[in-house]
Amino acid sequence: MSEFHDNYPSYEHMAHHSEEEGKVTRKKLWRVFWYMLAITIFELIIGSLAPGNGWSGTLWLKLLFIGLTILKAGFIVMSFMHLGHEVKFFKMVVLIPYIVFMSYGIFIILDEGVYSAEEINRTKVDPILIQQQEKLKASHGHHEAAPAEQGAGHKKEAHH
Amino acid sequence: MSHSTEIDSKTAWGGGESPFRISYGKMMMWFFLISDALTFGGLLVSYGFIRHKYADVWPKAENVFTHFPFVDKHLPLAYVGLMTFILIMSSVTMVLAVEAGHRNDKRKVIMWMFWTIVGGATFVGSQAWEWYHFIHGTAEGALRHVWDMETGKYVEKVVYGANMVVNEYGVPQFANYFFFITGFHGFHVFSGVIINLIIFLNVINGTYERRGHYEMVEKVGLYWHFVDLVWVFVFTFFYLL
Repeated sequence: MSEFHDNYPSYEHMAHHSEEEGKVTRKKLWRVFWYMLAITIFELIIGSLAPGNGWSGTLWLKLLFIGLTILKAGFIVMSFMHLGHEVKFFKMVVLIPYIVFMSYGIFIILDEGVYSAEEINRTKVDPILIQQQEKLKASHGHHEAAPAEQGAGHKKEAHH
Repeated sequence: MSHSTEIDSKTAWGGGESPFRISYGKMMMWFFLISDALTFGGLLVSYGFIRHKYADVWPKAENVFTHFPFVDKHLPLAYVGLMTFILIMSSVTMVLAVEAGHRNDKRKVIMWMFWTIVGGATFVGSQAWEWYHFIHGTAEGALRHVWDMETGKYVEKVVYGANMVVNEYGVPQFANYFFFITGFHGFHVFSGVIINLIIFLNVINGTYERRGHYEMVEKVGLYWHFVDLVWVFVFTFFYLL
């Protein structure tokens, strides 16, 4: 494996560890797994208990979900992908370009996305669909029953 | 690990060694993953943009994905929760395979890689199942304006399920982005399963035992965790929000 870099240290071989070190590593990995499982179950419970419209809740609920997602992503990248144990130079090389590009993308979503939502900028949406959505929203306001029943009810109405 | 902590920034860039303290293959895998992550990032940004644009007519995921295999009940998002669990689980088995590789424990590498492949294949199958139900839709369907090719006019018609043109649950853009992004991710999972399978066979044949290190397992491991990472975001932005 050294045809390209004869004098370089072989990092492939340096990655070995002993039985005892392995035990510690495994324990850490399983702990991360339990954290991630707990977060996912928490997300699903919070979503089903969220007031009114089920999962699609308020801004704070959305921010909570996004925060937990970034936490999970951090666990995967830092622990499972081992980036947390690489040298600082390498961490920066991986993370900074990505964070810079994505910050711009998020800015575009929030700024231009809202601007483009103005009626004049949209392609024509099916008027029947707009009617159905308004009815669905109104029925959500009145009683907080299972969304499927409401969905089915409003679809039956749409038939005639 | 211990080898990565000792670094002198004065001499690190002087040549003769990697300033990143990482092998060429792993570094290149990381660079590939950054570019791939930017592709997925771009797709999700585009999705977020269109979702803001049509926020009032965007369907709610909990009204769309309500089925669970072999259970005739209304269970919103239960199955996708299970799929997420399966993929996280397979990510854990993969990292355990990598750990076993560091100890040159061939038997354990084989065992954990086997479970990783099983988890990945289960996930792809689940996604196919979910697509099937999304495409077929509900028994009631929904009324929509549909373009009629013969008369060249919009006609009112009951549509069932979703495709690239009409969507029973809301605007067609939801279906377009759902198919494209989960499809692109599913293709990554599928190729991940194939690559894992190739490495799995190499491990069984003793290729890496002879080489003295299991770095290839580590490299496919990076790719596999990346697939899990993307799913964490897809799960949030398509199903939770």
